[in-house]
Amino acid sequence: MRARDYFEETWEALDANRGRSLLTILGIVIGIAAVITMTGLIGGVRESIMGEMGANRARIITIGVESGIKSTDIDSLKQSVDGYEAISLTNNAGVDLSDSSQNGGSSDSYLQVQGVEASYFKIMGTKLIAGRFFTDMEDEEAANVVLVDEGAAKRLTGMDAEDAVGQKVRLVNANFTIIGVYESQAGMSSILTSYMPFKTCQRRLGYTSVPAFTAIGLARKDKDVMELVAETDAWVQKHYHLESSEDHRGQYDVSAMQSAIDQVNSAMMTFQLLMTAVASISLVVGGIGIMNMMLTNVTERIREIGLRKALGARSSDITKQFLLESVILCITGGIFGIVFGYLGSLAVAQLAGSLLASAGFGGITPVLDLASIAIATGISILIGIIFGYYPARRAAKLDPIEALRYQ
Amino acid sequence: MTPIIEMQGIHRIYDEGGIPTHALRGVSLTVKRGELLSIMGPSGSGKSTLMYIMGCLDTPTSGSYKLESLDVSKLTDDELAQIRSERIGFVFQSFNLLPRATVLRNVMLPLLYGPLPPKEREQRACSALAAVGLPAEYYDHRSNELSGGQMQRVAIARALVNDPALILADEPTGNLDSATSRLILETFLKLRDEGKTIVLITHDAEVASWTDRCVHIRDGHLLTDEEERAWVAQSGSHERGRT
Repeated sequence: MRARDYFEETWEALDANRGRSLLTILGIVIGIAAVITMTGLIGGVRESIMGEMGANRARIITIGVESGIKSTDIDSLKQSVDGYEAISLTNNAGVDLSDSSQNGGSSDSYLQVQGVEASYFKIMGTKLIAGRFFTDMEDEEAANVVLVDEGAAKRLTGMDAEDAVGQKVRLVNANFTIIGVYESQAGMSSILTSYMPFKTCQRRLGYTSVPAFTAIGLARKDKDVMELVAETDAWVQKHYHLESSEDHRGQYDVSAMQSAIDQVNSAMMTFQLLMTAVASISLVVGGIGIMNMMLTNVTERIREIGLRKALGARSSDITKQFLLESVILCITGGIFGIVFGYLGSLAVAQLAGSLLASAGFGGITPVLDLASIAIATGISILIGIIFGYYPARRAAKLDPIEALRYQ
Repeated sequence: MTPIIEMQGIHRIYDEGGIPTHALRGVSLTVKRGELLSIMGPSGSGKSTLMYIMGCLDTPTSGSYKLESLDVSKLTDDELAQIRSERIGFVFQSFNLLPRATVLRNVMLPLLYGPLPPKEREQRACSALAAVGLPAEYYDHRSNELSGGQMQRVAIARALVNDPALILADEPTGNLDSATSRLILETFLKLRDEGKTIVLITHDAEVASWTDRCVHIRDGHLLTDEEERAWVAQSGSHERGRT
């Protein structure tokens, strides 16, 4: 029997029991939809977190020292440890906007300010929507320039990104010129963020006496990141004389963002496996439904099986025909499940976004990748084979004479 | 000319709960090419068992069965399936058509298990339907939309479609009225005249009278007409003696 004949015969048989077939695949639809919804949402959360980590995330190293890091320390690090493409000191501050705001108390009455060096944007792969980044010269001069995210631009100037560039805004007690607008961080659109030159941040926002506590470095592409972390770790211990300190581990930290990425991936994977295990219960129940329907099919079609055998069908032809019916049922269930699962993940993401918007959560975009579709389809086929095999073999083993006599 | 069927000393013993039951006891039969033969017998005489063995749905416990000179008594299930697909056509009392399939698809069914491409299958099915005189307007009807006579003609067309060496018909008129039965028997005569070999299984003497030759089967033994008459006479006198 040719492949096309199997499909035609299968379609004819399933079409004859359309209602029953659709009801039977519900279990598979629900199971696959649950898996796809979970995968989509978890993928979305993961993408969101990775987005925040920036495009160069795999090469980023964070150096934190409790006693503070000075520019001269960074110069020394660059000389001692080979492998950094760029390093930027960073400092964090905040500006309360509620004085000029009518909605004091809400999340957008606070502007996060990060003082960074010009190289920071290259390290983090920050994406500009309009304007430009500041220069080393502007950092050196502690120029009153600021880069803001889209949301902050809107909040501070009431204008869109393009128009906000060049506008002057008053922060604390100085006027700053917006020189660039960048994309809001994925998933965090309602938190207002900004960057200004490291020295500007120190001088204008009253942190003159406070050094940076964190530096962000970008490993060269040809350098092994973990090796660079180890070298930097050794340098920090030596440079800050921490080797002899009893609890020196608590006084500094050198870590690759890759470790955080791995942790996030590992946590997400564990969560996904757990959710998939829960969803697979529905798949097993769905599979039992398929088996039940196929056994009913075999019983109802005993005479047909006898006839087919009398007309020349081999046992393997009968096995393949019934197995294909079960597999096609499951694949159909899988396709519906993928569609409903994706729609479900969009709905859940939407709901979560609207519920958590006030908490500064900008929502996530569910991810439906080819791998998920392939796995869902594969699982469907597998269920079809596992739960369809027994009924198919039972059909194939029927004695044609007994089957023809069956009333 | 080589006979289509050569059976020698066929025994078929079923094991029913540990008790051997003899369905056939040394049946020997030869059927010539182009012959229309009827096998007559009452219920339980072994005629269905004989038909199943002739149709390669069952194998004898002992004895030899040659179909077109090929010994089929010791073949595997798959080999028997291939023989059925290529050399045998079945016609059943209850038609056994697939109700959800069209007439054309029902007739093409045996060809699904052979090597022919779809186009050729359809051509063959149309020719077979034309041979049994079913008008083309019925080809796309579902089989459950047809009358009993039309259904049996579709079943005969299905038996013809793979151009078999042998057509086996099990009580082909059993579910039909006498006018329709006549039409079906005329179809068999026409096919016989075209060179087909047909074996009819029946318990109806009227049907048997249409065939070239009739063999009787009782308690697993084949009887000639004379032996059958003697058996009936003896049985009749026995009955009279009891009354």
